[in-house]
Amino acid sequence: MEKGLIKLLKTPWLVLGICFALTLVFFLQMKEKSRLETDLDKYMPQEHPAFVYSAMAEEWFNIKDGIIFAIENENGIYNTETLDTLKQLTKRLQKLQQINKSDVNSLYTADNIVGTEDGLDVKAFFTKVPKTQEELDNLQQTVRSNEMVYGRLVSESETVTLIVAELEDGVFSQEFYDEILAIAASYHTENIKVYVVGRPIVEGTLALLAPADMKKMIPIVLLVLIFVLFLALRKIKNTLLVMLVVLISTIWTFGLMALIGIPIYAVSTMLPVMLIVTGVAYGLYLYSHLEGYIRDNPAATKLEAVSNMLKAMSIPVIITAVTTSIGFLSLLTSQVYPVKYFGLFAGFGVLTSMILSLIFIPAVIMAFGLPKFKPAQEKSQLAYKITASIIKNKYVSIIGTVVVIVLMILGTQKLWINSSFLDKFEKDSDIVLTDKFINAHFGGTTALNLILDSDGKLNTFKQPEVLRLIDKMQSTLEADVPEVGTSFALSNFLKRMNKVMHEDRDEFDVIPDNQNLVAQYLLLYEMSGDPKNLVKAVNYDYSRLNVTIQLKSDNSKTINSAIAVVQSFAPDFKKLGISINFAGSGYKGLVFSDLILDGQIWSLILCILIVIILLSFMFKNIIIGLISGVPILITALIGFGVMGFLNIPLNATTALLSSIAVGIGINFAVHFIYQYRSYAITSNSSLEAAQKTMAHSGRSISFNAIVVILGFLVLLFSVFPPNRELGFIISLNMFTSFVGTLTIMLVLINKSNVYFQNKDKKLS
Amino acid sequence: MKKITTSFITFGLIFGLASNSELSAQTLDGKQIIEKVYNRPTPPNQTSTLTMTLINKSGETRVRTIKQNTKDFGDVEKNIMFFITPADVKNTSFMNWTYTDATKSDDQWIYLPALKKTKRISSESKSDYFMGSDFTYDDLGDRKVEDDTHKLIGKETLDGKECYIVESVSKDKSYMYSKTVTWVVKDHFIELKKEFYDEEGEKLKVQHIKKYGDFDGFYIKILEEMVNVQDKHSTSLFFENINISVNLPEDLFTERMLMRGI
Repeated sequence: MEKGLIKLLKTPWLVLGICFALTLVFFLQMKEKSRLETDLDKYMPQEHPAFVYSAMAEEWFNIKDGIIFAIENENGIYNTETLDTLKQLTKRLQKLQQINKSDVNSLYTADNIVGTEDGLDVKAFFTKVPKTQEELDNLQQTVRSNEMVYGRLVSESETVTLIVAELEDGVFSQEFYDEILAIAASYHTENIKVYVVGRPIVEGTLALLAPADMKKMIPIVLLVLIFVLFLALRKIKNTLLVMLVVLISTIWTFGLMALIGIPIYAVSTMLPVMLIVTGVAYGLYLYSHLEGYIRDNPAATKLEAVSNMLKAMSIPVIITAVTTSIGFLSLLTSQVYPVKYFGLFAGFGVLTSMILSLIFIPAVIMAFGLPKFKPAQEKSQLAYKITASIIKNKYVSIIGTVVVIVLMILGTQKLWINSSFLDKFEKDSDIVLTDKFINAHFGGTTALNLILDSDGKLNTFKQPEVLRLIDKMQSTLEADVPEVGTSFALSNFLKRMNKVMHEDRDEFDVIPDNQNLVAQYLLLYEMSGDPKNLVKAVNYDYSRLNVTIQLKSDNSKTINSAIAVVQSFAPDFKKLGISINFAGSGYKGLVFSDLILDGQIWSLILCILIVIILLSFMFKNIIIGLISGVPILITALIGFGVMGFLNIPLNATTALLSSIAVGIGINFAVHFIYQYRSYAITSNSSLEAAQKTMAHSGRSISFNAIVVILGFLVLLFSVFPPNRELGFIISLNMFTSFVGTLTIMLVLINKSNVYFQNKDKKLS
Repeated sequence: MKKITTSFITFGLIFGLASNSELSAQTLDGKQIIEKVYNRPTPPNQTSTLTMTLINKSGETRVRTIKQNTKDFGDVEKNIMFFITPADVKNTSFMNWTYTDATKSDDQWIYLPALKKTKRISSESKSDYFMGSDFTYDDLGDRKVEDDTHKLIGKETLDGKECYIVESVSKDKSYMYSKTVTWVVKDHFIELKKEFYDEEGEKLKVQHIKKYGDFDGFYIKILEEMVNVQDKHSTSLFFENINISVNLPEDLFTERMLMRGI
């Protein structure tokens, strides 16, 4: 390996030329073909049974995500100005290309089912905007007496009214988003405010905000790293060269992505920061070694110096790059394609950084000459002292480790999973505040669809017994889960019809007690109402039914508690031959997070195993392999434990970090053990070998740790909370693996006496 | 409420006899063709059994059979329908009186046997689609000739019959159809096929008469289909036991008869 690299030293200009040519090719590919994927449906594994079922249910019942426009007038909505705004905005939305006319619902489009003295009346609440006080008062009374709209389309405070516009799949774009916001803003007056919220808006904002934020972070990360690297390398030229290597490998990675036509997913926007922060380590170790060698051998030629650097450092650099890329590549076990691609390209990028560091940096030195270093500073005394002290006070490390492990296991008990999109935003952001505002006035902005299925048995959902059970389940849900605002099903239609057909008497606000009456009410509704409304409630042969549950939060705890109540009715439904399924975007988000986490646990286990096995082979000793795994195991545990204590939930982003952290965190151990093993040959004791290792590599390992910790810590300045969490957790992970390596691992290696057993035997 | 008036008459889908002597095909323009369609005389009495099949985009069907009677009283047309199947709506009945005076709203009653009550229902223009089908009341009736600008745009043989093709563009820009294109059979002035275009000018629905017959000189639809090409929903209407030679008694069209059932 080293020989091949040393051969390349003879043709530095050729190496540089090829590197730049390839970079140009990849850069042009990236510029031409890169595409950001903002459609969140593309992130979901479409072949998963839950998604397949949900897709079918969405088709059967025309389930779509809605954009919610809330029109607020603090003086009340029953005045000509507000109602005119409602009408005009409704009509404006109906004309938008991305929205079907019939998918816009508001008080203006809703059916008013009313009982009259001698019959039934289904009509619009208003077609011409009421002008006189009498007309306005009438409308107010009509709405109050209709539980199908009161509290659903008009708030009980009578100061807010909603327009819900359901979207076709995949029509959301930056332009459409801007258009929607502009439309809403254009209806603002002194008295009237128009708010916009709803899942498409949340998803769309998220898909645009996360990458935009990462983009802003990159230059800051670069600046911080240049500063830290300069402190470590003390030469601006070397610093910039190391940065150039990681920038080139980032270009190659995105170029390759564009070349094979893979779009940039939200998660891939983490790639540049990941690659830059991890990639600079290789150059850092190479230059650190070179500096030490030149200090010890001031007369060495550049060929000798560079050859020595490659001989000494190429193996540990290659091993660390391989372990880091294993951390990323273990994400290939995920069922979620964006995560798979992220792992694949990050792995590629890391290996590219390593290869470029090993050929590009030497080529530049050969072409432009050796860097000059100031005379050696004597710092090894400090390294010797620290090492001796750590080993002497080994019980501090051991007890400390045990305490931390116990504490962190407690912390992991508090860990929870969150698939919420809204929780990713700042608590005081417009989107969260608007959502809160609407949830305070209405049933809830998140919809969970419950699909009841009689497996093809006709007319099941005309049976009063079945409908009553559904009604009971709905009331239980609304009573037992505070976050369930309202729910809507065929049962609500029938209760309304029954009441209306009995002179609006409250005692008839119940499910009719025979199937014929149910069937006749439904027929009557079809004849007099807009039968398309029923499409959302029940299928044609009454063998499948959709209950829409409105939730005031999209976080996993809320959705799961609603699901738990529904599941408690499963035995009763089963007796009636009915099975329970869920659908809709809220549910898909939940399944999606579970999938990511499931995959994550596997990729973490796989990653740790591969790393331990790999290091056991590299160092030809299984005990060394296991010992090297200790800091990363503790790191993973601390990561999860701290998240538990700090109430940071596991989500798509934070879950990815564990195996990435293992892949990067193991590097400290690799460098340490690699040097330790070579010093063990010339040392008389384990302590001496450890001290020499610290003297040689302690500084570069520490700077490596500072680089990764600070590099990721920059993300704390992000305006996007998930990026901040990511920065915090991965920095913490880096810190704990660094500390773990130099404390408990050092103690264990010393204790195990691995490289000295034979020597001890010989001595005895 | 003219549209509802005509809807129930044409629920029997009656076609008048067009005398051949009136025909001078070469000189007819678009408007004249549509006038001839509109002005066909209708039989004063009609009974039939209608099977209405709704098919949704998942291929699920809803089938209903209805016995219906229609009588023209001059200033009012009365229609009474009794559901035969499905079993749970059997004997549910529906009566509609439509007045020639366009300013006068329809009177509608429904009787629900399970409730043992007759209820009046008032439907406004909201009830665009008839009973969950793909037919609006306008589609079932004949829209007034002067509501559209008509243009003969071609001639074609369709289903073995020579047809005029007439394009009718709505004068009211906010009407639900921006235009319709109709294939009118030259000999009988029957609208054999009709395409409906929505407000955006996209094709919305296609109506096709698959079968019609000659009853005492009246041409009457037997099997008709309407497909909504946008939401993949379709409706077929199949008329059996068509009888136009009865003289239906006046007291058939009363609330008492609604409750009595078939």
